[in-house]
Amino acid sequence: MKTIVSAAALLAASFFAIPTSAANLVLYTSQPNEDAQATVDGFMVANPDIKVDWVRDGTPKIIAKLQAEIQAGNPVADLLLIADMVTLERLKQDGKLLAYKSPEAAQYDASLYDADGYYYSTKLITTGIMYNTSAGMKPAGWKDLTKPEAKGLVTMPSPLASGAALIHAQTLAAVPGLGWDFYKALQANGAIVAGGNGAVLKSVASGEKAYGMVVDYLPIREKAKGAPVEFVFPSEGVSAVTEPVGILASTKNAEAAKKFVDYVLSEKGQEGFLKLGYIPARNDMKLPEGFPARDAIKVLPIKAEEALKNTDQDLKTFSGIYGSN
Amino acid sequence: MHGYVRSGNSQPAWLFPFIVISVLILSVLPLARLAMVGIAAFANGGVIDVLSEPSLWQATYYTIVTAVLGTIISLLIGCLFAFLLTLTDLPGKGPLSFFFVLPMMIPPQVTALAWVQMSGPSSPLLKALSLAPPLGSPQPLYSVGGIALLYGVQHAPLVYLALRAGLMTLPRDGVEAARLSGASSLRVFRDIILPLSLPGIIAGAAISFVSCTGNFGIPAILGIPASIYTLPTLIFTKFSAFTSRTFGDVAVLSGIIAMISVAGLMIQDRALRGRDYRVIGLSGASAAFQLGRWRFLATPLLWAILFFMLAAPFSALVAGALVPAYGVPLTFKTMSLHALQEILFRQAVTRTAFVNSLSLAGATALGLLVVTVLAAYVLTRRRDLASRIVASLIEIPYSLPGIVLAVAFILVFAAPVPVLNISLYGTIWIILIAYFSSFFAVSLKPLITAFHQLDPALEEAARLSGAGFVRRLFDIIVPLIAPAVGASVILVFLIACNELTISALLWSAGTQTLGVAIYNLDDSGSSDLASALSVLVVLMVVVMMLLLELLAKRLPKGVVPWRN
Repeated sequence: MKTIVSAAALLAASFFAIPTSAANLVLYTSQPNEDAQATVDGFMVANPDIKVDWVRDGTPKIIAKLQAEIQAGNPVADLLLIADMVTLERLKQDGKLLAYKSPEAAQYDASLYDADGYYYSTKLITTGIMYNTSAGMKPAGWKDLTKPEAKGLVTMPSPLASGAALIHAQTLAAVPGLGWDFYKALQANGAIVAGGNGAVLKSVASGEKAYGMVVDYLPIREKAKGAPVEFVFPSEGVSAVTEPVGILASTKNAEAAKKFVDYVLSEKGQEGFLKLGYIPARNDMKLPEGFPARDAIKVLPIKAEEALKNTDQDLKTFSGIYGSN
Repeated sequence: MHGYVRSGNSQPAWLFPFIVISVLILSVLPLARLAMVGIAAFANGGVIDVLSEPSLWQATYYTIVTAVLGTIISLLIGCLFAFLLTLTDLPGKGPLSFFFVLPMMIPPQVTALAWVQMSGPSSPLLKALSLAPPLGSPQPLYSVGGIALLYGVQHAPLVYLALRAGLMTLPRDGVEAARLSGASSLRVFRDIILPLSLPGIIAGAAISFVSCTGNFGIPAILGIPASIYTLPTLIFTKFSAFTSRTFGDVAVLSGIIAMISVAGLMIQDRALRGRDYRVIGLSGASAAFQLGRWRFLATPLLWAILFFMLAAPFSALVAGALVPAYGVPLTFKTMSLHALQEILFRQAVTRTAFVNSLSLAGATALGLLVVTVLAAYVLTRRRDLASRIVASLIEIPYSLPGIVLAVAFILVFAAPVPVLNISLYGTIWIILIAYFSSFFAVSLKPLITAFHQLDPALEEAARLSGAGFVRRLFDIIVPLIAPAVGASVILVFLIACNELTISALLWSAGTQTLGVAIYNLDDSGSSDLASALSVLVVLMVVVMMLLLELLAKRLPKGVVPWRN
């Protein structure tokens, strides 16, 4: 008995020696894991004296986490690198962000960053249509997804799980001829809502569904790896988010955080995104392989203030159509 | 002596208050905090909005239906294995038992991932075998039946362990007496074994039901794509759209889950009322029945069940980790080690998650034991109203889904702890405390069962001979309940290792657990990485179980749950 007790005590003692992380910066991001790791690795190579810990989740979930932490009075994150400007605009208005005028901003279109320096876009992520190459129809526009050929074969990301999906729904809802009626028609055609963009990719690539609304880089990258998928930029145009970066007002390490912002906006940081298969936001950068020319991509407009104001109502409308919460 | 011992009762005076304080901190405080937020939501009129949403009632319906069906399936499989492996001379009992307990130790979302990859058009395994259904075929597991089936697979070992613990202490002499009087095997089983094992079956059913209602990993992966929401996934999606109302809504929703779980436990309580089978010590009823020719039916049946529960899904998982991209059939040409390399050598989260999950699980299992041995003693000796209240308070956190507990603990530990002025929020310690709260009941249950079967006469005799409480504890009680102690530690360790729902909300940078890492990888579309990490987790579980197997000779009998 004694040996067991002492063995247990020893075991317990070793378990309690939990290593504590010594991160200088904590990044909350919605980038997929491989990309987040690559971004952070690139920054740490450029700034070897700063260690970055990162956390990945869908934008709404990461914001939910942050909100809960803020409510608790102890936000862990120093930096956000998440899907859309609307979300950061909301945080800015709530006074949760730190203003920082990055010198790199000069290389960016003024519409891509906040004039007061609260957030900066890092890339362009459009949402279009992907299809499985064994599908019968090759969709060219959004409305093709409501055709009988696509009955029961369409999937899309949920605005509750993905920031890009929310902006996408809000963008299409404002397009004359599409609007919420388009979403109702999709629902009537048996379209389903499945988690985030990753779930859509998986579902279409594997052939569970034939068509999906999805962010561009996922299917384009997977196609290059040999997956049986194609991505199209629909004729009506695509919605876009810009994956902005912002510093939280509560950061305890503002100087390091500013360096991170400068890095992701710098040519080097932008090349890192390019290599991962994203359209860089910085002026005069190339497009990644597999994309059409930049001016061939028609981006549908979205009014940020209006989108912000309508977010709750839009989520309710969407949930009402798809019976999810 | 009078100062330390209550008259007419053999417990030291500090014992019950100690348990009460533990329960206050781990159960009452967080839940009261959550209830306050819930009541505040009531006061603001938000509750009408919540209760009038059809999605709520739909989710309640799905929660109950899947949990009931899942419990039935886990009872069928669990009882079949428990009776055959404990009471008969079936060959290969050791390995059968070993493999049967394995699914319980695999995180639910890994089980779900593996099964999804095993069936439907997405299966890399079926594609490799050219058996995949055509494009657009529905995934059969994305349904109520699919969720219930995986609940059954996931929780059958819980039933098995609960029942087996009871079966191992069956009096052999009773069976032998019946035999000598000419009773048939069926008669012995029906009249002696079955009634005596009912408490174990009912306890197993209750654990299974409560686990089903709180499960998150399986309905998240199988239900959400088909718009089938159970209450835990509904709460999770509500969190994904965090608003000022969220905490209030969740408080109301968790109230409903609590009612369902408490209803399940009340049925258990009622079923057990009036039954008090006490058996002296361990009688060991091994091989009470000779299977004879039936073994040629039973052996392949059990192995076939295990093949579908383990081998097939695991192969699918490996296939999922080896494909270079989605939808590419797995062949020797296309096979790629990219995902394994990424997980093992590039992703910082892999090591973090392994260290965190193992440390948390170990600390929870051993730390809790100190409290639960004493709690089990007190609760079985004192049978007054106060102890019944304490017992139900312990059950509540476990019957709530992890996500509800997580919110409760955020609310409690958000601000720095008074006096000590330490901030727990955002650290690994808040997860540890939430684990203590959540797994209290898991740790306690096998001990309570053991205490119920313990004859108080032994301890009374020692007390009359002048042995103090501590002496009686270490010399009489602990040796007699050692198997239950072992079962308790292992159960808690493995469940905590695979935990997802609590950590899903409490994790922060650097405190990711394995469950969170796998779920997030899959959620971000990197199901190849999720599969690769899952394969590593399954291998780790098997290695841990093999280590226990090696150590088993040195451990008291019954500590390793799958061994005779």
